[in-house]
Amino acid sequence: MKPDIPAVLAELAGLVARNAVPDVDPAERAGALGLSAALLGMAAEAWDGAAQRLVEENRALRALLARAGDRAGRDAWLAGGVDDDLRISALSTANARLRAALVDLHVAVERDPSSEARALEAEIWDELRRSTERRLMSGALA
Amino acid sequence: MSSADLASRLAAYAATRMPAAREVEVRDLSRISGGASRQTYRFRLAWTEGGERRERRLILRRDPPASLIDTERRVEFAAYSAFHGSKVPVPEMIWLEEGSEALDQPFSVAEEITGFEAAPALLWTASYLASHEALARTKWTILGEIARADPFALGLDAVMPPPEPEACAFRELDMWEKVLDEDQAEPLPITRAAIRWLRANPPPAAQKIGVVHGDFRTGNFLYDRQGGIHGVLDWEMAHLGDPLEDLGWSLNPVWNFKRNLAGGLVPDAVAIAHWEAASGLRADPAAVRWWTLFNCVKGQAIWISSARAWIDGGNREPIMVLPAWGMQNAQDRAILKVMDRL
Repeated sequence: MKPDIPAVLAELAGLVARNAVPDVDPAERAGALGLSAALLGMAAEAWDGAAQRLVEENRALRALLARAGDRAGRDAWLAGGVDDDLRISALSTANARLRAALVDLHVAVERDPSSEARALEAEIWDELRRSTERRLMSGALA
Repeated sequence: MSSADLASRLAAYAATRMPAAREVEVRDLSRISGGASRQTYRFRLAWTEGGERRERRLILRRDPPASLIDTERRVEFAAYSAFHGSKVPVPEMIWLEEGSEALDQPFSVAEEITGFEAAPALLWTASYLASHEALARTKWTILGEIARADPFALGLDAVMPPPEPEACAFRELDMWEKVLDEDQAEPLPITRAAIRWLRANPPPAAQKIGVVHGDFRTGNFLYDRQGGIHGVLDWEMAHLGDPLEDLGWSLNPVWNFKRNLAGGLVPDAVAIAHWEAASGLRADPAAVRWWTLFNCVKGQAIWISSARAWIDGGNREPIMVLPAWGMQNAQDRAILKVMDRL
């Protein structure tokens, strides 16, 4: 999730503190705190599953790159990676690198008329669909 | 700036715009929550004129330091003004101030339309359920009226550059892809795949160059319990282009609000039929699909740019995070749905 959750939580802490001052306009306070509550709810929901989602997704993307072999081009080496550092920031950095590689692989596969490429393309779409399921949140707006 | 300072400076500004007015006052100034692109306030303007005390309820929309959508307020003001008094209900525009001297940021002032609702969530409460078909008819008929309007006769080509009919689609796609290129904070494999499909499968040329509202959806109009609409708001992305663009935005699945209906109200086919009847234009299914998918990309660019404005520190208000967190995945799923991948 961008912006990153810790940065948003820090900003919300300041916002809540500012709204604790008695002379804040009630309508402004209501708007600020209502939005803050919605964001805190989303952050709470994302908190528990964030590492699991990233590890699972990074594993799936590495497997896809491994199956792509030479088609993954200069990104092929990413298939051999491991998530040793389990901090969310480190997992997110690895995830961004892998998803960038997935974009490049998708482009390469679309340009390749072979049946192997079609099969790989179907796998890419499956993974993209699963990525949206991993990111589903009950508090999503739509 | 405190509310009291803002009220005082706004009253001083109003006095300069109303030479016959005396004792000009701004009362009950209060911020309206939401409004990610402009800071919005309602207030009462009171003044004495011809020996009589008068009052009017108005809306102030002031530019924030960085907004969700960077737009020209002159274009927005012109769009509202062009449709005022037409079959497309809009509030009357009063003043446009493009300088920063009066209130530190440019702003506009408009009539407040009162007594109606804008929040989408209310539509699915018991009091409103029976109005959905009527509201849908009104909604897409008004959108059809916008499409039917002649932007050249309205003088809008003076502030909105008209594209050639065959250039509408890629002009918009180029613009929003650039926003994504500049603002994305992480890779967007689904959105990028959609862009490649859009480029490989261009739509036919526009049937006409029309006015495109740019953000016509449930949530951006004022409605009643009988299915009436009394004000179409948020014209800040208005431009000239293919009228199908607006239809596609209204059919973007994120505006279904988790119901499998256009705008959460009626099946897509019903909405399209109302639009065709009012606009006099044909909604070719392949073209509608292209514009709907395009609008999913546009939506993603808007959510991404709100995240970017927050990350860069230009606007740290929580309203900038809400679409970034709450809409990106929904927009990705909407793309998959339109591309028959979900």
